[in-house]
Amino acid sequence: MRISSGSVFDTNVSMLNHQQASLLHTNQQVASGRRMLTPADDPAASASALLVAQADGTNSQLEVNRNAVKSSTGMAESVLQSVSSLITEAKTMAVQAGNGILSGSDRKSIASTLQGRLDELIALANSTDGTGNYLFSGFQGKTIPFLKTALGVQYMADDGQRMVQVGSSRKMAASDSGSDVFMRVKNGNGAFVTEGNSANTGAASIGQGTVTNSNLLTGSTYKLNFNSPFSYTLTETKSTGEVLPPVPQEPEPPFQYASGEAITLPGMHISIMGAPERGDTFTVTPSTNEGLFKTLADLIVALNTTNPAGDAATSSQLTSSLSKAMSGLDRGLDNVLTARASLGARLNELDSLQATGEDLGLQYKQTLSTLQDLDYNKAISDLNRQTTSLTAAQKSFKQVAELSMFNYM
Amino acid sequence: MGVSGVMGISVSALNAAQVGLQTTGHNIANANTPGYSRQEVQMDTRKPQYSGSGFLGQGVEVSTVKRAYSEFLNGQVLSEQSQAAMLNTYHTQIKEIDNVIADSNSGVSPAIQGFFSAVNNVSTSPESQPARQAMLNSGNALAARFQSLNQRFIDVNNSVGNQISNSVTQINSYAKQIALLNQNIVQQTAVSNQPPNDLLDQRDQLVAKLNTQLKATVVRQGDGAYNVFVGSGQSLVVGSDSFSLALAQSPSEPSKQDVVYNNKNGTQSVIQQSSLQGGNLGGFLTFRDTTLASSQNSLGRVAMGISGVLNQQHQLGQDLNDNLGENLFVPTVPAVYSNTTNNGSGVVAASIDSAEDFAALTGSDYKLRFDGGTSYTLIRQSDHKETNFASGLPNTPVDGLRFTSTEGAQAGDTYLIRPTVNGARDFTLNIRDPAKIAAALPIRANAEFSNQGSAKIASGSVNTPPTNPDPMHPGTDVNLKNPVAISFTSATTFDVFDMKAGVKIATAVPYADGRDISFNGWTTQISGVPAEGDIFSVGENLNATADGRNSLIIAGLQTKDTLGAANGGTATMSFQGAYAQWVSEIGNKTRELQVTSTAQTSMAEQSVATQQSFAGVNLDEEAANLMRYQRAYQAAGKAMQISNTLFDTVLQLGR
Repeated sequence: MRISSGSVFDTNVSMLNHQQASLLHTNQQVASGRRMLTPADDPAASASALLVAQADGTNSQLEVNRNAVKSSTGMAESVLQSVSSLITEAKTMAVQAGNGILSGSDRKSIASTLQGRLDELIALANSTDGTGNYLFSGFQGKTIPFLKTALGVQYMADDGQRMVQVGSSRKMAASDSGSDVFMRVKNGNGAFVTEGNSANTGAASIGQGTVTNSNLLTGSTYKLNFNSPFSYTLTETKSTGEVLPPVPQEPEPPFQYASGEAITLPGMHISIMGAPERGDTFTVTPSTNEGLFKTLADLIVALNTTNPAGDAATSSQLTSSLSKAMSGLDRGLDNVLTARASLGARLNELDSLQATGEDLGLQYKQTLSTLQDLDYNKAISDLNRQTTSLTAAQKSFKQVAELSMFNYM
Repeated sequence: MGVSGVMGISVSALNAAQVGLQTTGHNIANANTPGYSRQEVQMDTRKPQYSGSGFLGQGVEVSTVKRAYSEFLNGQVLSEQSQAAMLNTYHTQIKEIDNVIADSNSGVSPAIQGFFSAVNNVSTSPESQPARQAMLNSGNALAARFQSLNQRFIDVNNSVGNQISNSVTQINSYAKQIALLNQNIVQQTAVSNQPPNDLLDQRDQLVAKLNTQLKATVVRQGDGAYNVFVGSGQSLVVGSDSFSLALAQSPSEPSKQDVVYNNKNGTQSVIQQSSLQGGNLGGFLTFRDTTLASSQNSLGRVAMGISGVLNQQHQLGQDLNDNLGENLFVPTVPAVYSNTTNNGSGVVAASIDSAEDFAALTGSDYKLRFDGGTSYTLIRQSDHKETNFASGLPNTPVDGLRFTSTEGAQAGDTYLIRPTVNGARDFTLNIRDPAKIAAALPIRANAEFSNQGSAKIASGSVNTPPTNPDPMHPGTDVNLKNPVAISFTSATTFDVFDMKAGVKIATAVPYADGRDISFNGWTTQISGVPAEGDIFSVGENLNATADGRNSLIIAGLQTKDTLGAANGGTATMSFQGAYAQWVSEIGNKTRELQVTSTAQTSMAEQSVATQQSFAGVNLDEEAANLMRYQRAYQAAGKAMQISNTLFDTVLQLGR
């Protein structure tokens, strides 16, 4: 076959160009450490790399979010820890105040200590985080949640829970509203409240009572009217406001009273101790949300009230109030402990999410590395192969180009 | 005659050898001249002379000098090279875009990530001014990234425009030169009746150069002239006349320059741009009208998706001043161009109204044609799918687009709609004040302290689209912030009161644990065990500095599928997914062109080698020829010397 002398050069130059181009590509790969210099080198991998990089970035952001929740949750937890010990102390003082040998002035001094505790509780409930946001004010971070008013401590904020994205499909509450922690505390035993009339003249006091069957609870208010120290009638007021006639009705004899004996009402047992007088009344009302502040404030008022029976005796009024306060504090402590348990569970979950997140981050980085990074062994071997073949091509080109008939003429 | 005959024959041989040496020398001299075809001396015996002893040879004569030319091989080289030039140009151009998006650290994706991280930080601390300012800053950074990438497209577009213009100038110059050579060739052939080999080579070389700019068809005429046609049959050269191409504003899109044909009478005719195939010009046009346009659209779609979808959600929120959210980004309007050849005065506008509409955007361009009466036809440019609207433009969106038109269109009028072309260019933050970031939701829900039951109410969300839109704020319901009380009339039913209007808006709704309760444009859920008389309230969310619910939703949009819904279907990809899809499209197309242009170049090289092996100069062959003609010359000289000696012998006879 005829070969054009020009073609020999053209073909060789074009082949050398090709070889140099691929050598340069490998060289750039080695220099940058990247397998894909442009998306054209591996379009599918470069698109996945973008998505994996986003997943990795999102994962890192979630860690930032988790740390934010951890910090606010940790602060709330330490505040609630102080609140629980404060309640425990208040309970101890309430027990102490029930001691019959204490004088009125002793009780007043306990009351003044408790007043200090109440102020401390308000301050704790109004705690702020590092940036001046109230911890327990729902969505209204800059609104002071608990305010002392003439009507007692009022909650000024809302029920909002601040949610934060802590996992790709997990939003977690970074806060608890103050209303849930401090205000939604049922008074009495949680189902109903027993109370003696403040005008009672007898020495009988009513216990907190127990729920025997919560399904039978009616939501009605019951009133026990002692028509003699030994018997009483019962009036039921329904939640709708309808007042039923007293039972038992004449000519049935009224219920007989025995001190300490269980009185059965629908779904509950109550008991009255001591000697009532004619005309004394006791009420059983469904529990309402009272709030820790009111419980403490009521206790302080009760301790400051002068005992009509004189310093020596413990009045039935005081006994009832103390028992009510104790039970209120118990329920308040329960509530705070529940909140703390939930905070603890969240902190635990954050830890496990953190571990998962770190694993995931590692995996994303590995995937990214597989997609993007260069296999140096292969690249170096390619580089050597390409260098060898380029050198060979150059040598052979030189030899071929030197061949000419004119050398022999 | 005898002795003098030997002399005559020797002279003819001497002459022929001289022509041979001259031609060989010419071949050697032009061994590296592009387009040169090797020339051969065609020798013939002279007419013999009859004598009694038969026909006596009269020596040799050179009948012609012929160039080694194969129309078939040359034609193959032309078409292969034209195709290779187009693919190479296309590849070179698309590599520009491929390089821009090559670095994953400088593309749009880290900016998207940065922006959404900042939104996340606002959602964890909504009251924080630094976090809010950081969100605006990273929004600006994202805008800058979109704009700079778009600017890169515009730069590439401008440079392609310049190169198209250069290409057109070259084509016109080649056409002129071919016409001039046509004239010379026809003249010289007619005068000498011999082929003007070097002129023919020059003309063929010009045709080859023309083909590397634009695919041209050559028709050889009887008189030796070439007629050259381009595009869909536009004649560029006819005999000794040449015509020219020019650039003119495209009738469909004012910012675009189309290649047009200059008619003899001074008018210009539009050429279907897609018919201009092959060569650099074909490569530039294909790149500009397909890859570059669709890249700008695709990037624009990502930008418009982010701005549109986030705007919709941002408007449902509430800022630090207790106002409903404004647009987070400046909304981008689809570009609509009336064709300059339209006879009517009707104007068409297009809009994208809801998050669903943004999801349905395709990234394609559309052509809308008025067919007369109330009939319109919409043609999607990406797949030429036609949709006919017999009774006027529809109220429902098509691929996310809603159209409106004014009176005055005439049948045949067309409009070009480029929905997303300006998406990246116009991506700008609308909000400058950090306090105006609507991180909160405008409503919140509370349970009354007096409630006996243990039921809880969720903090609520805002419905979209609203059933009863607020004229001042169309994204939300007019009654959204009215205080509402949900009052349980029994443990299983509740009434709903709008306290602002003072009316009962629902009576005895049956209660189900966790079921959606929707009124006034919001939705909430009550779960747990309510008691008769329990009251829950939903209403305005004032002073909610720590509420980051809306920014939490906005942050969640980063990974949510929000784009790529077929008309009315569900969204199939996230913003990043749409961006990655485009990157992969560019990568794939670049790779494809890299492979095809390499293959085409090597095919062109092959066909050149084949053509050259026929027409090219082989120096060894020429060296042999040199020796051959040298020997012939020497031999002829010797013969002449002998004939001279013979003369001497004869002359001495007479002494």
